[in-house]
Amino acid sequence: MIPAVGVAAVLFVVLAFGDLRGNLVYYLTTSEAVDRQGQFGDQRRFRLAGHVVEDSVRPTAAGAAFSMTDGVTTIEVVHTGAPPQLFRSGIDVVLEGSWDEGRFASDTMMIKHDEQYCAPEREERHCPSRTPAADAAPADGASR
Amino acid sequence: MIRRHTFDIVAVALVAIGFVLAMGAPPDRLQGDVQRLMYVHVPAAWVAYLAFAVTLVGSVGWLVSRRRRWDRLAASSAEVGVVFTGLAIALGSLWGKPIWGVWWTWDARLVTTALLFIVYLGYLALRRAVADPETRARRSAILGVVAFVQVPIVHMSVVWWRTLHQPPTVLRPDQHPTMDHDMLMALLVNVAAFTAVYAALVRRRAAVARLEAEADAHTDRHAPLAGDAVIAPRLEGAVDG
Repeated sequence: MIPAVGVAAVLFVVLAFGDLRGNLVYYLTTSEAVDRQGQFGDQRRFRLAGHVVEDSVRPTAAGAAFSMTDGVTTIEVVHTGAPPQLFRSGIDVVLEGSWDEGRFASDTMMIKHDEQYCAPEREERHCPSRTPAADAAPADGASR
Repeated sequence: MIRRHTFDIVAVALVAIGFVLAMGAPPDRLQGDVQRLMYVHVPAAWVAYLAFAVTLVGSVGWLVSRRRRWDRLAASSAEVGVVFTGLAIALGSLWGKPIWGVWWTWDARLVTTALLFIVYLGYLALRRAVADPETRARRSAILGVVAFVQVPIVHMSVVWWRTLHQPPTVLRPDQHPTMDHDMLMALLVNVAAFTAVYAALVRRRAAVARLEAEADAHTDRHAPLAGDAVIAPRLEGAVDG
């Protein structure tokens, strides 16, 4: 029993305070990505999440280009590959890729659908339209 | 005879009603018909939580009373819980591919759920690794209590950490469900249906466990094992080491 509790305590401390060099953060917001642009350079791959800006999606030969925002900072994204079916302006996405001369070059896209479920014809009644500010995710771990 | 099958009949009836409601509910405005996977994915995850909570209760019950039936309840519930955890992961994966675009991603909800699955598989393995019923019950009970810590962590993972998985729609910490009423009704009936299936399965599994224990008690532990009479063949010319 005592070894088990000890192992659990060590695990908890490592997970809560160790941060494992930021590896436990699943994605960065656009503001955080811009903050770390200098540190990451154009090599380091990371996940970036945000809201696809309305009417910013342009199809390209290799995929799609669009703007992504967290309500504060907007980043231009160049995506290579076919986006998932649900991809459209106004939806949340998680991208994998790296900085490329001030733009984000992504090669993997995942759709982050929200927790709202509603019928098409009843959109107004149960699904108030969301604002990008409502997407602000909690900082990892401590807050909330 | 009727009483013995009441659980099964209720479960089958609820599953049938749940299926009709799930098919009759409106499709999601964004996801379309794929969203109907929710009516099986969410109940499967709910039953997994419930099953491991019952394992916790059974484990504590055994530790307090030392009655075997608590141990059998804990074991039966864990077994059914593992099945439903696997089902929740598989159905979530099927849902993830068309909506997220990936079968799997290493986010907090998916990783903690996978850990939950593996730890309770370990619980089942532990039950097979100890022959003495008393020792087995004690060790399993301790693991059954400790392992339950994971359940609130899995549920809150989408609130505590950033994930690709959506935050809770129904069991939200702060607000009302963010779902169309017809969808919510279909979901709740399916949760009830899955819970009834769970109850029917655990009831049967616990009955089998009781029969196993009785058969076990009649086994002479000092009788020679099958195969004891067989003498290992010796190779010609082999030298005894």
